[in-house]
Amino acid sequence: MKKRIIGSFLLLLALTLIFIVISITAGSADISPAEVVKILSGGSSDDTSELILLKIRLPRTFAAAILGGALALSGYMLQTYFHNPIAGPFVLGISSGARLTVAIALILAARGAIVLNSALMAAAAFVGALIAMSAVLLMSSKIRSMSLLVVCGVMIGYICTAITDIIVNFADDSDIVNLRGWSVGTFSGFKSESLAVCAVIIFAALTAVFFMSKPISAYQLGESYAVDMGVNIRAVRIAMILLSSLLSGCVAAFAGPVTFVGIAVPFLVKMLFGTAKPLVMIPACFLGGGVFCIISDIIARTVISPSELGISTVTSVLGAPVVLMIMLRKNKERVRD
Amino acid sequence: MLEIKHLCAGYGRRTIAHDISFMVRGGEILTFIGQNGSGKSTLLKTLAGQIPPLSGEIVIDGRNESDMSRNEIARCVSAMLTDRPKTDMMTCRDVIETGRYPYTGTFGLLGPTDKDAVSEAMRLTDTAELADCFFTEISDGQKQRVMLARAVCREPKILLLDEPTSFLDIHYKLTFLEMLDRLRHERNIAVVMSLHETELAEKISDTVLLLKNGRCTGIGKPSELMGRGSLTEHFDIPEELYIKYHG
Repeated sequence: MKKRIIGSFLLLLALTLIFIVISITAGSADISPAEVVKILSGGSSDDTSELILLKIRLPRTFAAAILGGALALSGYMLQTYFHNPIAGPFVLGISSGARLTVAIALILAARGAIVLNSALMAAAAFVGALIAMSAVLLMSSKIRSMSLLVVCGVMIGYICTAITDIIVNFADDSDIVNLRGWSVGTFSGFKSESLAVCAVIIFAALTAVFFMSKPISAYQLGESYAVDMGVNIRAVRIAMILLSSLLSGCVAAFAGPVTFVGIAVPFLVKMLFGTAKPLVMIPACFLGGGVFCIISDIIARTVISPSELGISTVTSVLGAPVVLMIMLRKNKERVRD
Repeated sequence: MLEIKHLCAGYGRRTIAHDISFMVRGGEILTFIGQNGSGKSTLLKTLAGQIPPLSGEIVIDGRNESDMSRNEIARCVSAMLTDRPKTDMMTCRDVIETGRYPYTGTFGLLGPTDKDAVSEAMRLTDTAELADCFFTEISDGQKQRVMLARAVCREPKILLLDEPTSFLDIHYKLTFLEMLDRLRHERNIAVVMSLHETELAEKISDTVLLLKNGRCTGIGKPSELMGRGSLTEHFDIPEELYIKYHG
């Protein structure tokens, strides 16, 4: 058991490293690994390569890694919270809720009503994520079936997306130049300021979640057992809601919609590690989400280069089959029971 | 020692058990006897902290439960309830280890003392050979024993058991009671449980508490309370039915 966990961690770390290297070297301008080392140590003569590496590829790879990790972690917490393997920030409409409030904030900023910085944008996303989450929670108290809850979440997502579309349509074209590109989802074009804000939020949330791994493990067994173990179940629930909303809101605000990562990665990671223990799953999901998104991003920008695919196009192709697998597996379990 | 004073239990405004008082010392077994819906489970859930008491007091070793922290209560009281835990890729050992929760550190890792307690509980409950099986893949009776091991490895002062023998065949029913008997003597645990099998309750309990429609209709030694007449009346069983199938 221990061997498998350590081995899996090593494998994930190796994959992360390999794909980081591929991600910063591959592209329309070839930069060899040797050149990367040269540039990073400050001894390069090629300004274009240096610019591409430091201003484009490194921030993009870093963004994919931490935002992917955030999505996977957020998905893992939602699945644990709802005891539902196909819950995730996107299918429950939380990402769409975050996007709605961010769109409103962006338009207000374009009209000069507010001055928007990255932190404020993250705050707007957090509020939107929480609103959508509240709607889901309200429904989950009435619904026991896991598939119905997801259907409700998808509906909430559609409603938020529709309202976003309406708002965007009524806005002036100049207000929404930023919004158009953002509505397909991408890890490119991160300003260092927003990347820093993301990193602070995500690593703070990751640490908080990691320190909650013990109560989360109790929560996994079901409410009555958590109470028996002396867990303050209300506090754990609230913390899980706030942290998963913060994580998925952050991604939705800065990268736009990135689908299926939150569901597919925790499942794949669980299969790889052979355990669902939070102490292992939390760091592993974060790493796994990072690798998944770096790979997806490489595919997104290389297959039809010099043009680019939306990141969700790739994550859907890779992630949706996994979700189907989960549902078929669950169904098999039910038949066997 | 567990002392219950004028406890009312129920959900919100719906009182299900009224004005229950009793005392169980370490090493003693008290059993609730009553029909379905008489309030046994509600009382046990209240004692286990699953639902807040509506009124009255729960006193553990002289301390009022409302003055104790969640962790302190969890260290003293361990419950085995009728619902099964939701497990995801958890082996029986994993499930049993969750019983040590109140004693483990920040990350919930088990130390040597915890591991010893788990092995001892597995030995007592005859679950060692199930250790590496997935919890979802064993029989109901085996699950029952694993859940008992989980409750026991905490080394609680008070053990609460809701219908502990319900899924067991006659062999394990009897070994279960034998196990319980040994446990309470060896570890001086106070046991409060509910049982449907009146004949077993009579043999193992020091005290029985008869519950009817949420009220205590009698408390005392089983020999005094559990003759045929009182049972047929307590369970509303027609005399001829009792004689035909049970007498």
